[in-house]
Formats: sequence, C-alpha cells, structure tokens
Amino acid sequence: MRVLLVEDYLPIQKAVARGLREAGFAVDVTGDGEEGLWYATSNAYDVVILDLMLPKVDGLTILRRLRAEGRSAHVLILTAKDTVPDRVQGLDLGADDYVVKPFAFEELLSRVRALARRSYQAKNPCLTVNDLRIETTTQRVWRGRQEVHLTPREYALLEYLAMRSGEVVRRRDIWEHIYEFKSEADSNVVDVYVGYLRKKIERQGKPRLIHTIRGRGYSLAWAK
Amino acid sequence: MTISIRARLLLGVIGGMAILLAASALVVYAVMYRSLLDGYDEVLASTARTICGSIEQDGEQIKLEIDEHEMPEFFRTGRPDYFQLWQEDGKTVERSPSLQGTDLVQFEGPLDVHVFRPIRLPDGRMGRAVGLLFFPKIDDEVQVRIQPRRARLVVARETASLDSIIRFLRFVLVATTGGTVVLALLVGAIVVRQGLRPLDALAAGIAAIRHDELSRRVPTNDLPAEMVPVVQRLNDLLVRLEEAFHRERAFTSDAAHELRTPLAGLRSTLEVALARPRGVEDYKECMTDCLSIIGHMQAMADTLLALARLEGGQKTLRPEAIRLAGLFEDIWRPFADRVRERGIADVWHVPPELVCTSDRDILIMIVTNLLANAAVYTNDGGRIEVTAGQAGASIELKFANTGSRLSDEDARHVFDRFWRGDASRTDTGIHGGLGLALVRRAVALLGGKVDASVGGDVFTVRVTLPAC
Repeated sequence: MRVLLVEDYLPIQKAVARGLREAGFAVDVTGDGEEGLWYATSNAYDVVILDLMLPKVDGLTILRRLRAEGRSAHVLILTAKDTVPDRVQGLDLGADDYVVKPFAFEELLSRVRALARRSYQAKNPCLTVNDLRIETTTQRVWRGRQEVHLTPREYALLEYLAMRSGEVVRRRDIWEHIYEFKSEADSNVVDVYVGYLRKKIERQGKPRLIHTIRGRGYSLAWAK
Repeated sequence: MTISIRARLLLGVIGGMAILLAASALVVYAVMYRSLLDGYDEVLASTARTICGSIEQDGEQIKLEIDEHEMPEFFRTGRPDYFQLWQEDGKTVERSPSLQGTDLVQFEGPLDVHVFRPIRLPDGRMGRAVGLLFFPKIDDEVQVRIQPRRARLVVARETASLDSIIRFLRFVLVATTGGTVVLALLVGAIVVRQGLRPLDALAAGIAAIRHDELSRRVPTNDLPAEMVPVVQRLNDLLVRLEEAFHRERAFTSDAAHELRTPLAGLRSTLEVALARPRGVEDYKECMTDCLSIIGHMQAMADTLLALARLEGGQKTLRPEAIRLAGLFEDIWRPFADRVRERGIADVWHVPPELVCTSDRDILIMIVTNLLANAAVYTNDGGRIEVTAGQAGASIELKFANTGSRLSDEDARHVFDRFWRGDASRTDTGIHGGLGLALVRRAVALLGGKVDASVGGDVFTVRVTLPAC
C-alpha cells in the first residue's frame, strides 16, 4: 500500500512516516503544498494524508485539484482545524476522513488501513486466499496453521497481491504501490521479492499461490 | 438611597402645582372677601346716610325722627340692627330701640368719612359698624343764624350672613384646591408610570443580553427621544465589549491551535517510538526530536504571552527618543556571525542621526522578529537589506531578504496568526507563525502600519511608524 503524506511540520512528518513504514506502507513525504500536489497527481496512491495549512498550495486546493482530475485516491485530512465548518468543508470537497491534531498514532494508522482496504473493496481486515490468511491489523500471515514470518517489504507485496487476489497484477502496479518514490528500486526488484515471498509461503510442498502470468505480471490465486 | 425618578417627577410636578393652586386660591379668596365686604359696607353706609337724612339741627338741638314702618330693622326684637347718635360732646341724642338703653362703641374718622370696623353687638353676635362725624342739616326756615354743631352716628348690623358666605367661599376654595392636588397626584402617578414604561422595557431589554450574546443591540426605534442617546452609548459600549470578547476568544483558540501542532508532533513521535522495541540510538533520536519540539513550544508560549500582553493593553507605552542605528546594531549582533557564516551579505541604509520617538521595548520586539525572520529565511549566499528613513511625520523601515519562495498571494497572509511560510527552511520545520502576527500587533500599538510584498525572490516587510 502506498501512502502520500503532505505535512509541513517536520516532527509529525518524521514520526508518522516512520510509523506508517513500520506498518508496512510505502510512504512518500513532502512538506510543501506545490510538491504535494505534484506527487499526488503523478503517482497512484492508495491513501493521501493531507495537512490543510501548507506553504504555497493549501491542502483544500490540493484536494479540489485531485478530485477535479478524477483521482480516486482516498484522502485523509490531518489538521489542527477542528471546527464543524472546517470538517464539513473538507469532507464535502471529497475527503474520505478527517483527523484532528493532536491524534493518537494508532488511530491514524487504523484509519489509513481502513481507507487502503476500501481502495480494493475489501472490508474485512482479514484477507484469506484458501489456506493463506493475512491479518492486516497486526501484519501477521499464516499458511494453514503455520505462521509465516515476513519482512515488511515482503508483507507489503503479499498484502497488495492479496487485496487484488484473482486479478492479474502488473509489475508496474506492484512497483508503484509497494515502493516509495525516492527508493532506487526498479521493477526488476519486484521479481526478486516475489521469489522471496514464494519461498516463504509455498514451502513444504504447499500448493502454489503466486502465479507468474508471462508478459503480464503476477496473480495470487488458488489454482485447483 | 437615591430618590427615584418617578417620585422626583411626582413630587416636583404635583408639589409645584399645589403651591400655585394654593396661591391662586388665596388671591381669589382675598379679592372675593374684599368685594363682599365692600358690598356689605356699602349697604351699611347707605343705611347711615338714610338715618343722617332724618337728622336736623333745630336751634341748639339735634333731632332725629325715625319711623318704625320705614326702618323696622331697628325696632324688631329678634336679630335687630342698631344705631346710636351722639352730640359732639358725647351726649347721646338718640339710640335705636333695639339697644334697649345700652351703648354702642363710639368711633369716627375725619369729617363726613365713613369708617367701618368689626364689633361685637350688645347681644353678643358678631357684627360690623360704620362710624360717621357730620354736620346735621339745619332747619334754616326758622333760625337765621345758628352755630352748626357736629354729630356722631354709629350704625351696626350683624355679619352672620356675610360670615357664612365667607366660610363657604373658604371651604369651596380649600376643597377644590385640595381635591385638585389629590386628583393630580393620582393622574400624575399614572402618567409618570406610563411615561417611564420605556425605561422598564429598556431595563428588561438590557437584562436579556447575556454575556455570550454581545452581538445583540438594544433597539432604538421605539424609544422616546430622550433615551436614544443613552441607548446609543450603551450600544457603542456593547460594540467595544464584543470586539474585546472576539479578540479574547480568537486569541485563546489561536493559542490552542498553535499548541495542537507541536503537541501532535510530540505525541506521534513518542507513540511511534514506543510502538516496538528499538535500539538506544533510536530512542536518543526520539528524545532529541521531542526536546526540539519542546523548545519550539516554549518559544511559542513566550510569544503568545507577549501578544496577550500587547492585546490586553497591559503594556503602557513609554515613548522615548531612540537612535535607530544603535538599536539595529544591538539587535543584529547575535545574528551577525551565523548569517555571515552562510555567506549572506547584510546591507544597512540607516542614517546614524535618525531618531524615532517610540516605546523602546515594543520597537525592539518588532525589529528583533523581523531581523530573526530575515536571518532564518535568507538563502545561503543571499542578501539582507535594511533601510530606514524619515518621510514627513513618519519613519519608514524596510527589511528585505532574498531567498523567499513565497508568492505575492502568500505575502498577504504572512501576518495571520496561523500562517506558516516555507517550512523546509527551519530546524523544526515550523516557523512560529506568530512572529509576524506579533509584529503586526506591536506596530498597530505604536500607531503605525506594516505590509509585506514579494518581488522575485525578495521578501520585503515595510513598517511605517509615527516619528514622534
């Protein structure tokens, strides 16, 4: 899941980005409205966390422009403005959620997760593909009764594939949703990580779950 | 206790009216009394003249002949009239039968002048008498040469009827005056109550304004003209109160808002740090971050306090002559080294003799904030330019720095309390947003103006202050 954080107060930026990354999100960060708008319109984010008072271009303008361009990224407004008119204005402009500072990080995280799930029409925080079970809230994964331990990156990849299970997911999509803008990875890295992931969830003769669709991408599905 | 308007009006109007009524009643009484008495006296005098007509001097003798048929009043026994005639030497010539031998009081005025006086009649009744000294006519057919002799006549009559008329007159006057006053008191009380009703309505209107409804005004359209100025003053007071309240409220909410952001920073930094076990270095980093946030909060609290003092009017102005060049130099000193290290050129156009009469503390607050701002936001290798000069009755200060990434649109917001400029330049990522708000308030307090503009990458703040 890829998240854009537009927040100009460095301590919040730093802490939230760190927390989100540790929760398995790929996070792009900017403290500038203009840059935020550029990021948001040139990448496919699952969730955009938006402060309202920003230098150069304010949060509501970014939101308006995103919606005008038909971007469907879920937007969570994170601001010190707490009056009802502020909230109403934010939500009416197309925001999906509104969190007032100061906030509990745990709550912010679970709201971001909820918004990310909604991107894939998934309401259940527990994803299952046959005997593969992913608990998105705790980021724990089981294959049958056996818990599988994954690195954050592997987990992010598996969660993304699971969100779109049954579909053929292009390498480019994976790359866009798992990697941060500033990471130096290219889409070949995806293949490497799919390899790692397969080793962990398909060992001991368990049936294959991640299928390579030649020339198109990968698909997480139960093949009978 | 002060006397109420109602009582004062009633007492004043009714008291005044009572005095006037009493005075006019007295005048009426005096006039009526006089004219009644004159009428009565005229009757008495004409009776005396009739009697005189019947008196003759016959030789040495003075004679009086009266007839019971002509003047029965002197003959009857019940409530009779009286007369007595004397010679000049006091010897009684004749007396009315009603006197039954007793005497009337002798009195007289000048010759041929009727003199009246109240007397007590022989039977004890109150009466009035006329006294007359005169020469009786002389039967000159008989006597050729006679020495004329004067005679004295007193005629008396009871005044019971006159007294009762006067008593009645007195009663009527007292009753009408008293009755009028009592009635006026009743009517007056009602009129005054009606007249003061708008005052009661006003009191109720004012009482209905609660402390959180200061936007309400007391309507003046239905008020009597006398009360309009009072209510207008009251409304003016409400306007001032409302402004003060709004300022207070805005200040508290701004302060809370300003604290929210660093609080959120503290909270998320600590929560994320505690979310999982970490190494010592990680914790150290977290604590350093928290410390820097707290430093920022502390600076903000100081600024908020300064702002509150300025806005609350707790700061009284103490104007003094200040040499600007010296002031700038003192304030710039702590910034100078750091700025030069970053290769920033500072250029000063401040005439050494330029003097501004102003409050030193507030001026220091303004200049410190502006110079600190310039020192933080100027790009490495950039330029800070400070200009000061006198233009008529005002002093103009200009603080320009390069490296601004603000738009002209942004420049309009830099004085808003909330507004934060380019975040990426400062250590904590936040520039108070209060510094320039403080500058604006402080400049306003000194009676000056401040504005900001951006041209290219040069950000300029222009402050205009009264020179003295």
